[in-house]
Amino acid sequence: MVNDKESQKIVDIIQNFARQSSLFVLAYGTGCGAIEIPPTMTSRYDAERFGIRGAATPRQADVLLITGYLATKSLKRVIRAYEQMQNPKYIIGFGSCTINGGMYWDSYNTINRLDMYIPVDVYINGCMPRPEAVIAGFAKLQKLIQAGKADGWDRYQKNLEFYRGNQKKIIHNWVMPDYNW
Amino acid sequence: MSEVFFRTKDLSTINIMNEQDILNKILDHFGNKVTGNVKREKRVELFATTNTIEDVLLYAKHQLSFIHFTQLSCVDWIEEKQFELVYIIWSPESKVTILIKVRVDRENPVAPNIDYIWRHANTFERELREMYGVQFEGLVGAQDFILEDWIEIPPMRRDFDTAEYAKKTFFDRPGRENARDVRETIRQNSGEEIPEFAKKYSR
Amino acid sequence: MDIWKLLLTGSVTTVLAFVVGMLYMGLRRKITARVQNRVGPPIYQNFLDVMKLWSKKSSINHGFMQHVAPLWMIATSITTLMFIPILNNGSTFFTNLTFEGDLIMLLYLMVVGSLGMALGAGQTGNPNSAIGVTRGLTQMVGFEIPWVMALVALMIQHRTTTVAGLLDVQVQSGTWLMLSSPFAFIAALLAIPGMFRYSPFDIVGAPAELASGPISEFGGKYLGTMMTNGAIFAFVKLTLFVDIFMGGASNLGFLLLKTFALYMFPVLWGLVSPRFRTEQAVRFFWGWPVFFGVLGLIQAAI
Ligand code: SF4
Repeated sequence: MVNDKESQKIVDIIQNFARQSSLFVLAYGTGCGAIEIPPTMTSRYDAERFGIRGAATPRQADVLLITGYLATKSLKRVIRAYEQMQNPKYIIGFGSCTINGGMYWDSYNTINRLDMYIPVDVYINGCMPRPEAVIAGFAKLQKLIQAGKADGWDRYQKNLEFYRGNQKKIIHNWVMPDYNW
Repeated sequence: MSEVFFRTKDLSTINIMNEQDILNKILDHFGNKVTGNVKREKRVELFATTNTIEDVLLYAKHQLSFIHFTQLSCVDWIEEKQFELVYIIWSPESKVTILIKVRVDRENPVAPNIDYIWRHANTFERELREMYGVQFEGLVGAQDFILEDWIEIPPMRRDFDTAEYAKKTFFDRPGRENARDVRETIRQNSGEEIPEFAKKYSR
Repeated sequence: MDIWKLLLTGSVTTVLAFVVGMLYMGLRRKITARVQNRVGPPIYQNFLDVMKLWSKKSSINHGFMQHVAPLWMIATSITTLMFIPILNNGSTFFTNLTFEGDLIMLLYLMVVGSLGMALGAGQTGNPNSAIGVTRGLTQMVGFEIPWVMALVALMIQHRTTTVAGLLDVQVQSGTWLMLSSPFAFIAALLAIPGMFRYSPFDIVGAPAELASGPISEFGGKYLGTMMTNGAIFAFVKLTLFVDIFMGGASNLGFLLLKTFALYMFPVLWGLVSPRFRTEQAVRFFWGWPVFFGVLGLIQAAI
């Protein structure tokens, strides 16, 4: 389809507005952080008023929320879930464990830096972050989407070699479908 | 209060064996093949070998009502070139815990499989096989249990350097190469003061 | 009637159905939130959701049938909508394709959408979808029986097989059929929550249990189309029910009032109920609703 630049800009603004105000979240409850999701979603903090809502499967989701430490074994599942999601898709890394390994920085079985394996759009610091911090992280993500800067999915496609190399470094037995969309 | 609660049944009157009785019975039955002592109240320690461990467990289970297999764990005595398997069993009647310790050679660690006595021992044995490399004769179960695609030496052995491995496998974020306190760095970067109560816990 | 007028009224009806259905679903989310002591999303949130789903840059599908399933569903919904007179004031603007015998056809048409969903979900190969489809069809066997009984009772009693005919009966006699045939009304009313698949009858798409069931492999524009279809079909069901039992409506204001009041029944019931198991749901539908359906048939016969 041919788009002249000015009109595409307006379409982008509208689309980005829709994207930022409706986030379907796939919560990948790996670490301790999963326990902060229920209070974020229910009546005390009510994330639904920002259009944030749980999705049941990766296909329907926009945001992959990685709540805490990731064992190499679950990294495989995370990659698989992430690749099933539809573009544009975003990742929120939740807690110190996803940033630098947190208290598991020297463990033989948990990865240290999540952004070397999959592209992270927003990190939420803390061990563990409270629901306010989670909502602040979502607000930041919404700002990034509105500005068109949350382009993790694009980076993933462009640097697939780099990410695949890092992933295969720790997942020796690679039995996964190709990333083809 | 809990003391009173648990002691309302007088143990001597309902003919429940105490620690010393249990130890004596086992030692009598096995002669000099098993040694042991009473460690403290409600805790008996036995030393067996790979040949006698099955008999001891069967005897304790069927004759002395130690029907509960609590867990099977392993200690790496790297200086003595041995693994120590610890079988922990408990009796709901006498409320005594027995630790049965069995030493196996570290180079060729083989122990008998006991999952026909307690079905769930299978889980512990598979874990030890994966984490320490202890082989149990005739153990059935997938080779991969908790770890997946593991190609190094078993990770719980003491000669496996976790930090070294993590350093060479995973990516460090600059500034987090070791366990040092990062609050000072954060303070410098953000200009926030460290609150008084938090200083106490600094290293 | 000339074809251009038909096209015009058809599109207006479809857009109306879409907007009203979406707003009702937004209101449902808002009401749910208020009941749970939350603020809740704005009532136009569903429009944003659909817009977002349509602006996804990729939508994977596993084959032809999955690709056409959402289209199939939305086509069925719009077709059904075309056969339902929206207003009862005798104007020809919203009558669309109403014809002699359409009530019987509607009974068939309303389940065709589920069939398309079943075929599409079957092709995805997701086990959750397969379970969801089986549950959905089982539940349909449950609620279709009292629903059909109620409609057949009305058809026998008033010797007409058109929705417009039933509307005329109500306009002329001045009473609603829900008052003159209370048993059929109760049977049909109890079948309504099953059609909407809200709690306690959300056994098809149970998110915690089945990962949203049949739609678990549909993403992006497919999901968007399905949500659109859900909105239109909700309007279809509500309007049909209002036409048949509650005397229709002489203008849009009354229509919205009546459909909203009716819509609150499954919504509020759903808010206070946990989920049934499949066989419990079927047992429920084959219990009291069928009993009232039989009473309705007897009333119609004598
Ligand atoms: S950051 Fe802290 S709370 Fe979060 S997963 Fe890691 S250890 Fe647990």
